[in-house]
Parts: sequence; C-alpha cells; structure tokens
Amino acid sequence: MSINIHVQHEDFDLASEYTSLRSRTSKIGAVVTFTGLVRDFERLHDDPTSGQNLHTLTLEHYPGMTERLIAEIVDEALQRWSAFGVTVIHRVGCLRPNEQIVFVGVTSEHRENAFKIAEFVMDYLKTKATFWKKVDLNGQQQWIMAKHSDTKAAAKWTEDSDE
Amino acid sequence: MINLLFFGRLGDLAQNVDHSIVYDGQLRTPKELVHELEVAHPRLVAALREPQVLVSVNKMVVKWDHPLFDGDEIAFLPPVTGG
Repeated sequence: MSINIHVQHEDFDLASEYTSLRSRTSKIGAVVTFTGLVRDFERLHDDPTSGQNLHTLTLEHYPGMTERLIAEIVDEALQRWSAFGVTVIHRVGCLRPNEQIVFVGVTSEHRENAFKIAEFVMDYLKTKATFWKKVDLNGQQQWIMAKHSDTKAAAKWTEDSDE
Repeated sequence: MINLLFFGRLGDLAQNVDHSIVYDGQLRTPKELVHELEVAHPRLVAALREPQVLVSVNKMVVKWDHPLFDGDEIAFLPPVTGG
C-alpha cells in the first residue's frame, strides 16, 4: 500500500502520475484517476444563476494541517475499501481558468473500490481539508462560500450503511 | 507567546490584529481570546462567532473552551472550499 499526498504550487503531469501509480505492483486490475480543473466561472453563493466570469482563483491552505487532514480522509477511505495505491495532489496559489487544480488517483484489484475511493476522497476534500478559494471576478476579489451541494455529497457516505 | 492565524475571509478582517500574544501565565481559552478582541475589532469578532467557524489549537480542531498554553498556535477556520 502506498499513499502519496502533495499540496503544491506546481502543476502536475497526469501521465507520470498514472505511470507511477501503475508501477507499484503487478496485481493492479484498475486505475481510476480524477482531475479537477478551474472553471471559467464561479458561483459566489449557493445560487446556480449567480455565475460570473472568473479572472483568477487563489487557493490558500493551512500548511501541516491540510496534509494531515487529507491523510485522514485517505485512511478512512481505505478502512472501507482496499486499494494498492492512492495519490492526492492539490494545488494552491494563483490559478487561471482551465488549469489543473486537483488530482486523485487510485489503484485496486477491481474497479469498484478504485471508483469508490476516488469519489469518497474528492467529496471529503471539498468539505474537510483546510483550503479556501478566493476569486478575482474582473478585478473584484471575493472569498467563495461553502456550497450546500458539497456538504450533501459528503453526507451521503455516512447515510449509506451498506457502502 | 500564543500565535494566532486567521484563514480565508477572516484573514482580510484580521489585518490589523496582533498575531502574537505574550502568554502571561493566565489560563485562557479561544472563546476568551475572541472576547478580548471584541472592543478593538468588532467586525472580525462577529465573523469569528459565526456558527460554522471552527477553531484549532496546534493544528487540531478543538472546542472553544479548550485551555491555551504558552507556545500554542491558534487558528480560526471558516468553512472550507477546496477540491
């Protein structure tokens, strides 16, 4: 089992992350990767009609605490489903629309576990890890509000006792 | 010394706040610290008291009546928005 967690300013390369995940054991039957991109608009509030054109997105985080919280999320996922490897990369700093912001890669014997772990980690990354997004909308800076839909997405893992 | 960290929009509101406090040996809690900021920084304190704001001591989320000691790092955490 190998877990890699990185919070970094630099961009990441999907192909090399995939290759690295694959190379860790020959027993892997499934690789699931998720990549999140910065959208070209952002909703400031929990209102689907309030989208505005985005100039830049700046991510702040709490160094030390963020990495530990991500490790806890991954550990919790691995208590539910088994895997061979998990890589989580989250970028911080100033990003522009269409840039890569987050990567989750999971290898497992069968696809079900890899899909579940990737989804679980993403849902909790959004609601538990200490990141804060600030948007610049045509010169106007504003902190993004937490979205109810994200809280709801994470809550589904505590409701489904048969997961 | 007790070090204070303010994240997200709390950081904007805390720009004029002294981020390190001399520990005078008197036992305090995050709740008491916030109370002490109230007169000078009412807007910040109103934001800190919003129910979704969490407090951590040495990078662990704690209750607002958690005892503080010399060398502690206190962080005020608004709802997170990563991913």
